[in-house]
Amino acid sequence: MSDHYEPVIVGFLCNWCSYRAADLAGTSRIKYAPNMRAIRVMCSGRVDPQFVLTAFINGADGVLIAGCHPGECHYVNGNIKTMRRFLLLKKTLTQWGIEDERVQLLWASASEGIHLAEKVNAMTEELRALGPLRWHEKVLGENGKVPVAVKEA
Amino acid sequence: MNNSKEQNEKVGVYICRCGSNIAGIIDVEGVAKWAEGNANVEVSRENQFMCSSTGQELIENDIKEIGLTRVVVASCSPHMHEKTFREATERGGLNPYLFEMANIREHGSWATNDKEAATQKAKSLINAAVERVVHHQPLDKIPVDINPATLVVGGGITGITAALELAEGGNKVYLVDKEPSIGGHMAQIDKTFPTLDCSACILTPKMSDVGNHPNIELMTYSEVESVDGYIGNFSVAVTKKTSYVNDKCTACSDCEEICPVSVSSEFDVGIGTRTAIYRPFPQAIPNTYTLSKTTDDSQCVAGCPIHQNAHGYISLIAQGKYEEAVGLIVADNPLPGICGRACAHLCEDVCDRGNVDEPISIAYLKRFAMDKVGDYELQRPENEQKQRVGIVGAGPSGLACAYDLRKNGYQVKIFDALPTAGGMLTVGIPEYRLPKEQLEKEIGKIKDIGVEFKLNTKIGQDITLKELEKQFDAVYVATGAHEERKIGIPGENQDGVLSGIKFLRDVRLGNKINLGENIIVVGGGDSAIDTARTAKRLGAKNVTIVYRRSRKEMPAAFYEIEEAMYEGISIEFLTNPVSVNGNNKVQEVTLQRMKLGTPDDSGRRRPIPIEGSEFDVPCDNIIITIGQRPDIGPLLLKTNKWGSVEVDQVTLQTSRKKVFAGGDCVVGPDTIVGAMAQGKTAAESIHRMFQKLDMYEGREKEGAYYSNIKVDLDGRVIAKRARIPTIPLEERDGFKEVNLGFTEEQAQREANRCLHCSICCDCHLCETVCQPNAIDYSMEEETVFLSVGNIIVATGYQLFDSRRIPQYGYGRLDNVFTSFEFERMITASGPTEGHIVLRDRKTEPKRVAIVHCVGSRDLNYNEYCSKVCCMYSIKFAHLVHEHLPNAEVYNLYIDMRTPGKGYEEFYHRLLEEGTHFIRGRVAEISDAASQPEEEGKLMVQVENTLIGKQQRIPVDMVILSAGMEAQADSAEVSHLFKMGCDSSGFFNERHPKLAPVATMTEGVFIAGACQGPKDIPDSVAQGGAAASQVASLIGQGTVMMEPVRASIREDDCSGCRICNNLCPYSAIEFIVDDEVSEVITALCQGCGTCVAACPSNAIDGAHFTNIQVISQLQGMLWDVQPEPEKANA
Repeated sequence: MSDHYEPVIVGFLCNWCSYRAADLAGTSRIKYAPNMRAIRVMCSGRVDPQFVLTAFINGADGVLIAGCHPGECHYVNGNIKTMRRFLLLKKTLTQWGIEDERVQLLWASASEGIHLAEKVNAMTEELRALGPLRWHEKVLGENGKVPVAVKEA
Repeated sequence: MNNSKEQNEKVGVYICRCGSNIAGIIDVEGVAKWAEGNANVEVSRENQFMCSSTGQELIENDIKEIGLTRVVVASCSPHMHEKTFREATERGGLNPYLFEMANIREHGSWATNDKEAATQKAKSLINAAVERVVHHQPLDKIPVDINPATLVVGGGITGITAALELAEGGNKVYLVDKEPSIGGHMAQIDKTFPTLDCSACILTPKMSDVGNHPNIELMTYSEVESVDGYIGNFSVAVTKKTSYVNDKCTACSDCEEICPVSVSSEFDVGIGTRTAIYRPFPQAIPNTYTLSKTTDDSQCVAGCPIHQNAHGYISLIAQGKYEEAVGLIVADNPLPGICGRACAHLCEDVCDRGNVDEPISIAYLKRFAMDKVGDYELQRPENEQKQRVGIVGAGPSGLACAYDLRKNGYQVKIFDALPTAGGMLTVGIPEYRLPKEQLEKEIGKIKDIGVEFKLNTKIGQDITLKELEKQFDAVYVATGAHEERKIGIPGENQDGVLSGIKFLRDVRLGNKINLGENIIVVGGGDSAIDTARTAKRLGAKNVTIVYRRSRKEMPAAFYEIEEAMYEGISIEFLTNPVSVNGNNKVQEVTLQRMKLGTPDDSGRRRPIPIEGSEFDVPCDNIIITIGQRPDIGPLLLKTNKWGSVEVDQVTLQTSRKKVFAGGDCVVGPDTIVGAMAQGKTAAESIHRMFQKLDMYEGREKEGAYYSNIKVDLDGRVIAKRARIPTIPLEERDGFKEVNLGFTEEQAQREANRCLHCSICCDCHLCETVCQPNAIDYSMEEETVFLSVGNIIVATGYQLFDSRRIPQYGYGRLDNVFTSFEFERMITASGPTEGHIVLRDRKTEPKRVAIVHCVGSRDLNYNEYCSKVCCMYSIKFAHLVHEHLPNAEVYNLYIDMRTPGKGYEEFYHRLLEEGTHFIRGRVAEISDAASQPEEEGKLMVQVENTLIGKQQRIPVDMVILSAGMEAQADSAEVSHLFKMGCDSSGFFNERHPKLAPVATMTEGVFIAGACQGPKDIPDSVAQGGAAASQVASLIGQGTVMMEPVRASIREDDCSGCRICNNLCPYSAIEFIVDDEVSEVITALCQGCGTCVAACPSNAIDGAHFTNIQVISQLQGMLWDVQPEPEKANA
């Protein structure tokens, strides 16, 4: 890659709705930012907060979690549990100084390829404006272990 | 990129070019070469089409020859070819789950034109797959037995086809339909295009086959409530709606002939009517009747405190069945003619007709029925009981209580202080409103059924309550409220100041009253009006009502105020007396003007005196009618803080166990029906006490309640309420009854305004004529649980509602019809017997316009083409030509779409038949004539796009070819079966080309128009396709399920139970003895929510383990990974 900064987004897409939405976006030849790299999970409820942290530690600039619309979950209500976890996770990340835009939640049904593509475009632009995350400098201290926020407190 | 080879796995990477689909954007060779750099990769190849047999063989051979232990294919979406490559891996000799797929087409080459970025993304996805696959574990699919029974939802032609196919193959089928008959839309159609087959002729034999098939269990008038389980083992709850007709029904139609209700027929889509007990059409399967009846009562019945069946008698009056109407009235009400005259008719306040124009004149209709029939009999007891009940007070409350008790066979004796029975009915309501003869007649009828009366007996004076308690098994106290309140102003106790209630009583009983010429009546209720009108009749010259608020707040009935003013009584609003002046005899009264302030507790604006506005008015008498209160003193019963008898709110039991109390002496001055309702409640309580039943159970709907029925008020024709005729003013000097009652014609017209909100009017006439005793009003809703292996959903479509396009005028312009209205019209067995006529049912149209694409191909409504409308519009044109050879037919189309066998040929036939085909979307249909010759015509405005000109076409009839839409509840239905639907509401098939009847949920199939607009042959084909897929599964006997399941490592489980409640399938159980949780594999669906939630990392989600996902993640971020993490990875 060149010097030009391109944010990297890890997308956790549920097997039934949002992964298929991404498939549909491709099948419909909708062109959108190539910055999202997708990981398929059976349900957005499988997204363990440690996956999100691992993604950041390993250099991702943003994480997109996408599931079925509330009430349409293939597993009854997994997406509702995702939403609950998501809010708690965001709270934690904010305390570490990680910007709101870096973790986003999206409901996309299998027929909403365009919706997913638009979201990826928008998120890419938001992250581009923020610049790289630099987890190691921002969140970890000098010894690479203690969060800065905790140390300051 | 990972260069350390820790896993000792030999991974083969295969990158598909997919022709130019992938290779056109991604540098496939470069990526393949690059992938070799990963230490785990043994071989990396590219191929033109990996899904081809050569591609698959490549994998098989490499496993065998190079000894690969893992396989990665980078190509399309796993939803496309994961299965293909897993099978190839297995054929090569590896466990199929040791394979992983990288989606570089849908998520890569197709989603961007940036070649460099797409190539970089492909590298990431492939590296991720490689890192993941080394952690894969061999898994075995889980075998599931298939229950051979199948549920088919929807009994249209699609469901019928699917059910018959499966049943013929020897399999059990449950066919569920929400309508009383199967047949669906096809049963409503007259002819099918392009062959012009009679729709019913080809459909009904199939319907009878379904009805007679030993393998098909037909469940009509039923709906699927819930679906649990998975392929092979679904458990489905089906609710059978209450049809009130059991299987003894022989479909003789006797009930239909006697039913007095007439509502719009669903089957004849608005152009025909049906009765409440009905059969949708003569060839219905099952061939039985259904009674449509809501759970709540009609608004009028629910709003009436005694639940007088007004809906019932209105329906019967409309049919001229007056005897039956009277029978129904007196079943609930022992004072029918009285209520018909003097009731406050709360029913009319809630009547839904009031939301169209004006409420139905319910009370006067009752009077009409009673007057018309004349004589009647109250209900007599079937068996006599020995218990005796004493009732204190012969007013409406006591009389209603007496009737209900007597009906149950109890011995009833009524005591009253007055020399005549009737209470306030006699001494509170003037004779010009309620004639003495009427009262005597109705009390006589109560005597006839064996109720004893003892008059001139005052409680506490002639007999005590204690003595009554001794003589009777129960006592009901309903002494009313006969004490007039005082205003509390100076001079109120002088001669000439009268109490309104005493005044009316004296007049009625013939006592001597000295009344002057100038009378002031104080108050604003019904008794103020009664008093004033009575005073006028006694010869007073000037009668003035003084009321402290404005007319808006006046509690007296609107029409009573009107009548009083008509008779020359003046009303001073916003005026209040402050003192009565005179020398022991009233000479004048000082009045004060008031203004309105903020609302008080009653919700009415509070009157506030205006200082200095006092003025004197000379008068001979002041009559005070500001409200009555009960005189409880002699009863010696416990009272509450308002001075009324304290009772249990539900049972009306007093502080003494055997004594009940109700009516005005408990609630204060109330309406006649209000008092009667209390009497009925007391009768029920006394009956329950005698029979030792629960005193409280199931009494929620006693008294007036709000009915939840919603009626479609759209498109109702305005018809004003009938006015009751009255006697002329010059005859009103005596006490002759003012209201005359409806004429028969008036009554019939009035009764026909009823909207039948609860549909069935509860008259029970059908029950009386049903010979096989098939009608069962006590029937209740029933839920049936079915075990099935597969489900076929064929719930069909609904027609686009043409009212949504207001410029087409449907519902506003009489002669604009929808396609289904026309179908029913053209059918020989339909409401017009196959004659094409205008809404007046007589005139044949000379010019007919058929408008295509109504609600279809229109961004404002539905973007899609409904596929069938062009063809059926052409069919309509043909049928009009056939029925009316001289009529001109205009087909207004956007594009003519006639693909299909014989379809285009049919179109050509029509071109030759002389139909005018005009290309253009219709802008407007109106009845506004711009030239004299357009008068009385419908003008169709359209741009003829072939000649580039605007046209106005005058026609007599317009047919709107409305499109097909998903059923209104399709979103809920798709959730029920876990299918998903598109933005238009049509159910999603698994694959648009290759799996058109399968859904995302294994074991659930869709067929017919619920998937998208379809004509009959396509629907039938899909029904058959779904059936054959199910038959194939049944034939296999067992299917293999994905082994993606959670499992708990017992050693790591801390027993916190967080996972227990997270599982939507209750598949996690806590083992109390071991203090650990355990997954029930058969119930687990593999979502992984519990895995993510476990704080001890004790749960493994097979094929989605933490290490697999994290490795994939790290592999994916190879190019952006910071140095220290690279070392860790």
